[in-house]
Amino acid sequence: MPSFFKRHKRKKIDKVHNNKKEQTKKEDSKENSSQNAAGPLNRSLAANLEVIKQKTGSSPDVIIRRLMVGGGPPVEIAIGYVEGLVEEQSVNDFLIKSILNNDDIEVKNGEEILNKIEKDIIALGSIERVNDWEKLFQSMLSGKTIILIDGSSEAISANTRGGEKRSILEPSTQNTIRGSRESFTEAIGTNIALVRRIINNPNLWIEPRKLGTITQTDVSVMYINGIVKDEIVEEVRKRLDNIKLDSILESGYIEQMIQDQTMTTFPTIFHTERPDMVAGNLLEGRVAIFINGTPFVLLAPAVFIQFFQTPEDYYIRSDIATATRFLRVITFFISLMGPAIYVAATTFHQEMIPTQFLLIIAAQRDVVPFPAFVEALIMEVTFEILREAGIRMPKIIGPTISIVGALVIGQASVQAGIVSPAMVIVVSITAIASFATPSFPMAISIRLIRFLFMLCAATFGFYGIVLAFITLLAHLCGLRSFGVPYMSPLTPFIPENAGDTIFRRPWWDLRERPRLIGSKNTVRKGNNQKPEPPAAREMSSRKGDGDEI
Amino acid sequence: MGMRYKKILLFLLIICITTISGCWNKKELNELSIISALGIDKNEEGEYVKTFQIINPKNVAGALQGGGGGQGPAVTVYSATGKTILDSHYMGSTKISRRLYMAHTNLLVISEELAREEGIIKILDAFERDPEIRPTTTIVIAHEAKAEDIVKSLTAIDNIPADKVVKTLETSERVWGGELKVTLQGVIKKLTDSGTDPLITGVRVIGDPEKGKKIENIQASELDATLEADGLAIFKNGKLINWLHGDNARGAVWVLDKLKKTIVNLEWEGVKDVIGYQVMRQNTEVSAAIKNEQPEITVHVRAEGDIREVRNPVKLSDPDVLRKIEKLAEKEIKRQIEGSVEFAKENKTDIFGFGDEVHRSYPDAWKDFGKDWQETVFPEIKVDVKVDAFIRRTGLRNNSYLSDYENSH
Amino acid sequence: MEQAKISAYQLFVLIVMFTVGSALMLPLASEVKQSAWLAILLGMGGGFLLYLIYHGLYQYYPNILPTEYVQKLLGKTFGRVLGFIYILYFMYLAARVLRDFGEMLLTFAYEDTPLFIANALLIIVIVYTVRKGIEVIARTGELLFVLAGLLAISGLILIIASGVIDTANLKPVLEKGLGALLKTTATQTLYVPFGEVVVFAMILPYLNKSEKAKRAGLLALTLSGVTLALVAAINISVLGVSLLSRSQFPLLSSIQMIQIAGFLERLDVYFMLTLIIGGFCKIGIYTYVAIIGTADLFNIKESSQLSFPIGLIILLLSIIIASNFSEHIQEGLQIVTLYILFPMQVIIPVLLLVIAFFKNRKKNNN
Repeated sequence: MPSFFKRHKRKKIDKVHNNKKEQTKKEDSKENSSQNAAGPLNRSLAANLEVIKQKTGSSPDVIIRRLMVGGGPPVEIAIGYVEGLVEEQSVNDFLIKSILNNDDIEVKNGEEILNKIEKDIIALGSIERVNDWEKLFQSMLSGKTIILIDGSSEAISANTRGGEKRSILEPSTQNTIRGSRESFTEAIGTNIALVRRIINNPNLWIEPRKLGTITQTDVSVMYINGIVKDEIVEEVRKRLDNIKLDSILESGYIEQMIQDQTMTTFPTIFHTERPDMVAGNLLEGRVAIFINGTPFVLLAPAVFIQFFQTPEDYYIRSDIATATRFLRVITFFISLMGPAIYVAATTFHQEMIPTQFLLIIAAQRDVVPFPAFVEALIMEVTFEILREAGIRMPKIIGPTISIVGALVIGQASVQAGIVSPAMVIVVSITAIASFATPSFPMAISIRLIRFLFMLCAATFGFYGIVLAFITLLAHLCGLRSFGVPYMSPLTPFIPENAGDTIFRRPWWDLRERPRLIGSKNTVRKGNNQKPEPPAAREMSSRKGDGDEI
Repeated sequence: MGMRYKKILLFLLIICITTISGCWNKKELNELSIISALGIDKNEEGEYVKTFQIINPKNVAGALQGGGGGQGPAVTVYSATGKTILDSHYMGSTKISRRLYMAHTNLLVISEELAREEGIIKILDAFERDPEIRPTTTIVIAHEAKAEDIVKSLTAIDNIPADKVVKTLETSERVWGGELKVTLQGVIKKLTDSGTDPLITGVRVIGDPEKGKKIENIQASELDATLEADGLAIFKNGKLINWLHGDNARGAVWVLDKLKKTIVNLEWEGVKDVIGYQVMRQNTEVSAAIKNEQPEITVHVRAEGDIREVRNPVKLSDPDVLRKIEKLAEKEIKRQIEGSVEFAKENKTDIFGFGDEVHRSYPDAWKDFGKDWQETVFPEIKVDVKVDAFIRRTGLRNNSYLSDYENSH
Repeated sequence: MEQAKISAYQLFVLIVMFTVGSALMLPLASEVKQSAWLAILLGMGGGFLLYLIYHGLYQYYPNILPTEYVQKLLGKTFGRVLGFIYILYFMYLAARVLRDFGEMLLTFAYEDTPLFIANALLIIVIVYTVRKGIEVIARTGELLFVLAGLLAISGLILIIASGVIDTANLKPVLEKGLGALLKTTATQTLYVPFGEVVVFAMILPYLNKSEKAKRAGLLALTLSGVTLALVAAINISVLGVSLLSRSQFPLLSSIQMIQIAGFLERLDVYFMLTLIIGGFCKIGIYTYVAIIGTADLFNIKESSQLSFPIGLIILLLSIIIASNFSEHIQEGLQIVTLYILFPMQVIIPVLLLVIAFFKNRKKNNN
């Protein structure tokens, strides 16, 4: 077996090569860092300010205010911040005003002033010392205020973050009838606080990091220590650290960088804009990833059935929640296969259709010049165009589109004999059904696959549909999200977790967290939680009734 | 990179396979002629004449579409001849623009002449084998008519003539009991069983068949030609040999346990047809026994029903009178059944499946009887008919106003 | 051997789907007429014994594939030859089932489609799934099992509701005598489908809890035996003996008799769904086993690379094994059972078990 040896050799070579690569990488990164941040600060204030000016390209929103401090020989200090990122009120009140009011301090040099300012003067909660450029720019650009003192190679950074941001509004994509009305905003701090307010537990841990070589976006990983599986947190950390992108503008950037498999249309990471949903998922052992600048928070690992569940399912009665979930499963199948089944039944399996019904369809189809598949395709594409246009279009012209859509598609095309009324009905039902799926990425992925199903139906009828369906199942069964099988707990079937899938058992009976996701601490509640009426009202204790009267 | 190209190639291959194959089994609805009924005759040259009743969907569903359709006849009829059943089918396509589609055919009409002379055995294989034809297709015999005439007649209310015939059979099987709706599969099953022979309902055209073809026929309140179920054809060795009519037909349906509701007219104090006994529920059990090495059949009927008409004063409030009527009903039902059993015996054909019953209960003895069951054993067989009739209610009144009327006059 | 594990429940599901698979569609034991269901139940009893033999071998070697342990039992050369013969057997049976499947599909719904295309499409789907390994096959099987269960229950309700069942057709029982029944069992139902579980000798090593193999296997055989017997009994009572013996696909004929409320008619799709699901599971398992067997025998690391070539071989084999359906069926009944199934499912496993017993006893004594 000569090939065996070959392979062996090549491996060795690869190894050597890899080592070399790693070495060069290390060197690269060293160089980068030295270029980006010019090492420690200078002792001279003027030199420091020059560097700042140069680095920021004299951008007008970088404000630098020079002050004189000290009763002895006055020392010059400078306060620098970025306009708009800071709360100017607190900069003015707690920094500038405090420093100016303490004009008479007796100090000899920069170092002492630094200490004095840090300990006695600044009336702000969170301050820290910085001594290198990288840190300095980072804190300044994230909304902190920098105090530089002539003669000191250290600076103070005070947290004055603030500025204009959107207030907390109602969620716009994941609505519920019952449940919290809050949704996330673009500010990461606000978002984390929203979850903190729900889970008042020190075990709610947060790991911050900055991602995006240029944008330096704040990204935080949140989980509940003691519920989450350590391997999953470790995996999330590893995948986040592997991201080498210049920018993170939205959660989608990270989602696409950390998913297990790319050859799929299905979302393998969940995203939400509801704090209660994040809290609920953290309690099931998932990990949340907050990204600054977007109201969407990522949740991993995600399983298939999760995309058909809403937070409301847990707030309302379990029987009703179960019924709604069944309805969603039905809509899933309709939106996946509705037009495909219609096409297959009317072009391959007419024997299945009851005679009277077949005659009605046949009478309608008689004038239509296209094959059923083309007819369905025309209608589906038209619908997708309408949907897409509806999202992008200015709100003011909204009604126009619906009128044009309803008239053109609904009536004119039928009257002109281009499409049959039955097809319009099928496409409309499918369209409505696809919007009944609570998760948008799931719905859109189903819509895409629907075209594949239509193609299969048009070429092989039900045989094609069933084959496509089996392929879809196999594909879904092969997916994983952070190592967790995508179709769990349906398959591999986990009886303990089957109570929260298509069914939703009542809370007093929902004992376990998802086993594959959270390992430690699997039991959610105490025993015997089933509510019961007071004993006196029971038939067996009828005697008591007389006493009361 | 190589892997990626391979994947693209594979994808293209699959797309090619699927699109090239697109036309193999595809049948668009506007390329089909949906056949509702088929008629089979034989002409003078000894060829089969197959008549296709094709639905015009626009004229059936036209009313729903609002205007436009609904003007022409609901069906169009074509005939084609051929040496075999399949041959005539393919000859049909020389006349019809669309693919003949038989999956919705629910009526198969065979002419009496063909059934008598050649029998139905050789005809049915082509239908049983075809995956398009439903095994539940109803079979009827054109009584004293050509199958063609039955298929060509237009009908009112139910626009599609085939529907009308099938529904008529269904209804009359349920509420009168003189007819049977037999399916293609049912007939074949009985033909192949050695211990039973099929019964098939006859349909005839009342009036002028020529006028029945015209659309004017269904524009009048009284039709010039109409289709009517009439009698049960009895078969022997696959050939039609005789017809059961009236009470005999009903007796046969009693034994076959197909009857759901019927009216039995009873004699009262020497006057015929005085009491109308409506059977609401009935159950028939046929059992076989072997006595003195000869098979004996017991037919046990249990009927339950109401009195729905009296034409002479009868004291219906008296339980004893009701008991008496029950006895009369038993006698009458027994008479009908025995009549039809006698008729079958005369014709030497076991339409009731008594032979099957013997076969099931005495598989060993069947080996002796089975060979010439129809010819020698069945005509000699002893059939014991037991009827239990019960009267449960007498409608909204107890005694008839007739008694008051007679008292006051 | 692939690094993957399946649970006992998944094994149970796979065995059920495999044994019920194509046997549901074909007429089983039609020679004994009304007693076909009895022959199936007897075959199930024999199947228990066979399964215990395979399980016995598995207990001696719970962590390696049969293609490997035959080499330990018979020596390198003989073992390899035997392993190769078993791989050929798996591929041949996969091809046979595929042929059955394609013929059924073409006969009742797709008469204008070439057999090659119908088979090719299924094999493409199977190859796609099998490449993903045993875990994905097992999970897909689990979902399809639920689907098949729903189909079975609703189908049963429909058949009962339409009133086509006539239990009188089940009589007379044992018309041909007990001898004929036993003969049919010993020549037919024992091997198809119950003896075919010999493929699971190749899958048992993947089980995560080896002590559950026996229970899961026997339960699965019971469920599939009862299901098949029930279906056979329903077919007889709906169709009657003469029609049943003429039917190529009795289940299809039974389903076609359903007529409810004037609009539930011609539910051929039911049959088609069952057919495709069953065919997929059965051929899928055969194909998978052929692939891992080949990979194991020829030391191929990436066994998924074999799925395309083996899929192609099975596809071509399915086309060339017979020139028409009757020939295919007759081959199956007369040649295959006696000269292939009997030795491969009964004789060789029994011999191997005996050898394994003596070898291991020697070891223990030492």
